[in-house]
Amino acid sequence: MGFLEAIWDVMSTESAYTAATRFAAVLVFAAVGEWVAERSGTLNISVEAMILAGAFAGAMGYDWTGNVVVGILLGMGAGLIVSFVQAQMSHRLTADQFVVGLTLNILFLGVTSFLYAEWKPSSRVASKLEIPLLSDIPLIGKALFGQAWPFLLLYLLVPFAWWLVYRTRWGLEVRAVGENPQAADVSGIDVNKRRRESIYFAGICSGMGGAYLLLGQVGRFDDGIVAGRGFIALVAVIFGGWTLRGTIFGCLLFGSVLSFRLTLPGLGYELNNELMSSLPFLVTIVAMAAFAHKVRPPGSLARPFVRGLK
Amino acid sequence: MNELSISSIDGGSVYTGPPPAVTAEKLSKTYGYVKACDEVDIELFRGEIHGILGENGAGKSTLMKMLIGLVLPDGGGVKVDGELVTIRDPLDASELGIGMVHQHFSLVEALTVWENVALGDNSKLDRNKTRERVADLSLQYGLDVDPDDRVEDLPVGMRQRVELLKCLRKDPSVLILDEPTSVLTPEESEQLFASLRRVVEEENRAVALVSHRLSEVLLATDRITIMRNGAVIERCWTKDTDAHSLARGMVGRDVEVGFKEVKQSRKDSSKVLSAHPGENVEGSEKKFVLELSNVVTSSSSGVRELDGFSLGIKAGEIFGLAGVEGNGQSALVEVLSGLRTVSSGSVFLQAKEVPHNNFGRLAENGVAVIPEDRHDSGVVLGMSVAENLLFSNLEEGYKHGLLNKSRRDKRARELIEKFEINCTGPEAPLWSLSGGNQQRVVLARETSDKPVVLIASQPTRGLDVGAIEYMTGQLQELAKSGVGVLLISSELDEIFSLADRIGVIFRGKLAASMNREDANRESLGLLMGRGEV
Amino acid sequence: MSLNLSPSSSAKRKGEIFLLYTFSALGALVLSALIVEAVGANWSDVWNALLDGSFRKPGRWGRTLGSAVPMAMVAVGTIISTKVGLINIGQEGQMLVGAAFAAYMGAHVPGPGPLVIFIVIISGFVGGAFWSGLAGALRYWRNVPEVLTTLLLVTVAANFVGYGLKNTWLLLDPDAAVGNRTQVSQQLDPDSRLPRIDIFGNNFSISVIISLLLIALTFWLLSQTIVGFRLDVVGQNQKVGRRFGISEVRQGFAAMCASGGFAGLAGALMLASGDFAKFRLVPGFTVNLGWTGLLVALVAREKVLAVIPVALVFAGLRTGSSFLAATGVERRVTDVVQGLLVLALLVPPAVLFIRDRRRKLAQVESRT
Repeated sequence: MGFLEAIWDVMSTESAYTAATRFAAVLVFAAVGEWVAERSGTLNISVEAMILAGAFAGAMGYDWTGNVVVGILLGMGAGLIVSFVQAQMSHRLTADQFVVGLTLNILFLGVTSFLYAEWKPSSRVASKLEIPLLSDIPLIGKALFGQAWPFLLLYLLVPFAWWLVYRTRWGLEVRAVGENPQAADVSGIDVNKRRRESIYFAGICSGMGGAYLLLGQVGRFDDGIVAGRGFIALVAVIFGGWTLRGTIFGCLLFGSVLSFRLTLPGLGYELNNELMSSLPFLVTIVAMAAFAHKVRPPGSLARPFVRGLK
Repeated sequence: MNELSISSIDGGSVYTGPPPAVTAEKLSKTYGYVKACDEVDIELFRGEIHGILGENGAGKSTLMKMLIGLVLPDGGGVKVDGELVTIRDPLDASELGIGMVHQHFSLVEALTVWENVALGDNSKLDRNKTRERVADLSLQYGLDVDPDDRVEDLPVGMRQRVELLKCLRKDPSVLILDEPTSVLTPEESEQLFASLRRVVEEENRAVALVSHRLSEVLLATDRITIMRNGAVIERCWTKDTDAHSLARGMVGRDVEVGFKEVKQSRKDSSKVLSAHPGENVEGSEKKFVLELSNVVTSSSSGVRELDGFSLGIKAGEIFGLAGVEGNGQSALVEVLSGLRTVSSGSVFLQAKEVPHNNFGRLAENGVAVIPEDRHDSGVVLGMSVAENLLFSNLEEGYKHGLLNKSRRDKRARELIEKFEINCTGPEAPLWSLSGGNQQRVVLARETSDKPVVLIASQPTRGLDVGAIEYMTGQLQELAKSGVGVLLISSELDEIFSLADRIGVIFRGKLAASMNREDANRESLGLLMGRGEV
Repeated sequence: MSLNLSPSSSAKRKGEIFLLYTFSALGALVLSALIVEAVGANWSDVWNALLDGSFRKPGRWGRTLGSAVPMAMVAVGTIISTKVGLINIGQEGQMLVGAAFAAYMGAHVPGPGPLVIFIVIISGFVGGAFWSGLAGALRYWRNVPEVLTTLLLVTVAANFVGYGLKNTWLLLDPDAAVGNRTQVSQQLDPDSRLPRIDIFGNNFSISVIISLLLIALTFWLLSQTIVGFRLDVVGQNQKVGRRFGISEVRQGFAAMCASGGFAGLAGALMLASGDFAKFRLVPGFTVNLGWTGLLVALVAREKVLAVIPVALVFAGLRTGSSFLAATGVERRVTDVVQGLLVLALLVPPAVLFIRDRRRKLAQVESRT
């Protein structure tokens, strides 16, 4: 009884929607990039490091110039740097992509916290931008059209990613490379190059997401700022069955779970903080247990390609 | 100079027409210590189908891959219409008008037909234009392909048409086909050759048909080049040659074409067998050592790969199972390897039913398997020869779970000697062995413990002539010693020359089985193509 | 057609391998030195501080040994799961769960000291095995990639243990004077702690000896018994394994449990040795040693014995970092050095792999 009531209460609170899209937004930035990388055949676990680097570079950029745009651009650049290492190591040297990704996560945790301690950049949250009329829609208006302005980048990024993957030659080749690299190879496509490019795209998106996380939400950098969001974004892609629509739905779902946890205490519900903190991760695991065997991954996901051998 | 040398083989008339569409001059490629192609010259003329004939390993594929830019040559050059060119990748080749229909791996199953056709271009992606072009071409060549179908939903023969379309859409002046008939029924092959004729005669393109099958090269080509050990052995006009001389060129010595002679010798051995039956035979005609009854398997996507398959193998016989690839052979081998459980039906081994879902039971009780792709389920490349020889009989290396290295290596040394495996010793990692020797490791392991049945799936594919003779000899020896042998092959020649009884697998069912004496190629061809005579 | 490696080429190969590794490691160190210089410090000061803190100053190498133990145990476990082809990257969480099991049993099981120590250590193993076993079960039962589940379970473990440390019926010290102020578990009784050894002013717990024994045992199991053989077969070719009755599910699940078990054991040893947090469990008890242990395994690759030197180097970086304050460099620079080292050491095997592949490719090509 109490549980259903709580859900109803949350669902009729405007701030719950705002919180949900706030959480989901960072996930969507990262997940859109991760989706492209996975379609090309890389299960890119360094997405966590990409977001973290993006957030740190965002803070540095703002500290230097006081300009959010510069922060975001630097964030994208930082994400690109991480992705460059990941791509070169896993798709030029064919080192194991998980091992590389994991090492990068640890390395960049060290790098950002070291540099933060040395440089101590200060930053703040970017201003809110409420789009007239649209932001007045009850319940979801503020959530979708009344956030800090970098949120609006999503409305450009998502359609762009869709167009890129489904309507361009590059996207066709990315899909081919992720499904059947041998076939793509004999058709004259440079398989590992496409895979590297997809990872760069993931790096740029995730870096943007990291900068948004810092400049659009948190305001101050600390080394625990990402808190597993990259991994949740990665799972959202799997959860979404490697479609863009499903991925975004997955992000919104996980965003809602996080928001649920945050909104309840404000409504006067007692709950245990530790156990609720685990909720998004538990939901993720349960979701994967329920769906992982039902969806078909790209045929060559997480398999390195070396010409001539399967 | 080349033209002269070729023309002299042709019979004296000096060639004076336009330059060939593609000329390869002294193309060479060396891998490690192996010369895959050794200064090979070849000329592909417009308006001709040029057969390139050779055993597996003769260097045909390497040569073609150099023309298409998948392999970069170590030496020599390529001319297109008389001009020297460089081909670094398949895109270069396609811009020069050289296209290839690949034997495997060139279509992405999850994409649609038009998307596959568009792959490998480098212009802007234009959905509607590509779809229209595919539809037009499909009509023009009578190929009947829908641009919006997903490739994974198409049967094998249809996929090859897509492959052909993919090539033709770029309007190539030279079309290379690499073993195109290996996945086709005889009927489909004929259709393919008819389309090729049209391509050559009406559109004045050059076609190179790479094959190891004498009969189809004789049937479909105008000119033939024979390769052996990385070099061109002979060039001739198709109309001036016959199967015997082609076979001699391919193998390097006189061989019997057909199977009469071999058949005779096998007859003798079967006589020997019936005079002195092996311990498993026990005289009874009906006694099967391995029997499958109404076996059904379904893939994860729900396709019934074996659909009520029944078969019995007797001790001491070779049962040849013919069929076009993709009719359930791989599922059958997986079931008998214990890699897959059947959805219904039963497997009996020496009249005892083998329980479902019990990995290892079949191997333990004497079902030996020589898999089609040994890397897939036959060997562990990263382990040593000694370890690879151990799987079927772990007690030979481990006593109470503890490694007994001296015993393991002693056994390995014996087997290495007995099966003439060329390696540096029991500790040599398996990947350091050549393909033929890896296959011998499999053979040694599978047959050294007196198996009851041996399943040999395409056992000679990819081996050179010597290795093939060794392998077929071993199969005959085993049958003679009382092992029931199931030979699964898509090569009718192989089946005719080895089998005592012949069956045909079609769409997951045994379409027919007969004694070899009652079989003829025509009816088998029909059975393979449509499941009935 | 055969392509055998002659002995001379294998000697040459060894030389190449050595050079590759040396250059990669040097590259990482040079890059680290550049970073240190970039923030305005002197790299040789940093180097000396690290040496002082890890080995040179009195009593320091005992501490280094203490840090090396959990890293080595985690790494050994990781090697087991890697052997069977699974990717366990959740050791940090498995360690914490192991330590929590150990702390709970230490506080609740009565009995003579040695018995309690034994139970504490075993329950640490069980706790870690349970946590990784969850990921293993999901892998084989529901086809969920273990890379992700092990990772996600790290955070869940931290939260659950945090919950346990807020409730006296689970882990919180019932002593109101302690438990009301901080989230800590009950301290292990003095007679149920691991004995400590004192040599030349260096003090360390016998967990060092226990871990050496376990490394030797694992090495023996993997190289000399059928246990290792089976893991190898399944790890390298599941189909061959299945054909000869070696089930990838059973082997994989067991390896996964063993892998987490070693991580949990590391957590229990940390608790019982007292090198960390004074025989009590606290939030964040594992201080990233699980991650570092994982890095140790990545560097040692599949070689169990190589874990010992690598763990010592990484432990040295860790204990050395506490002497960095005097040089004006943030101590977290050692995390950067570690990461760069690991990344650099991924390069040589990858290069060699490509070369081996090319060779194999040559064989394949020459046959078709």
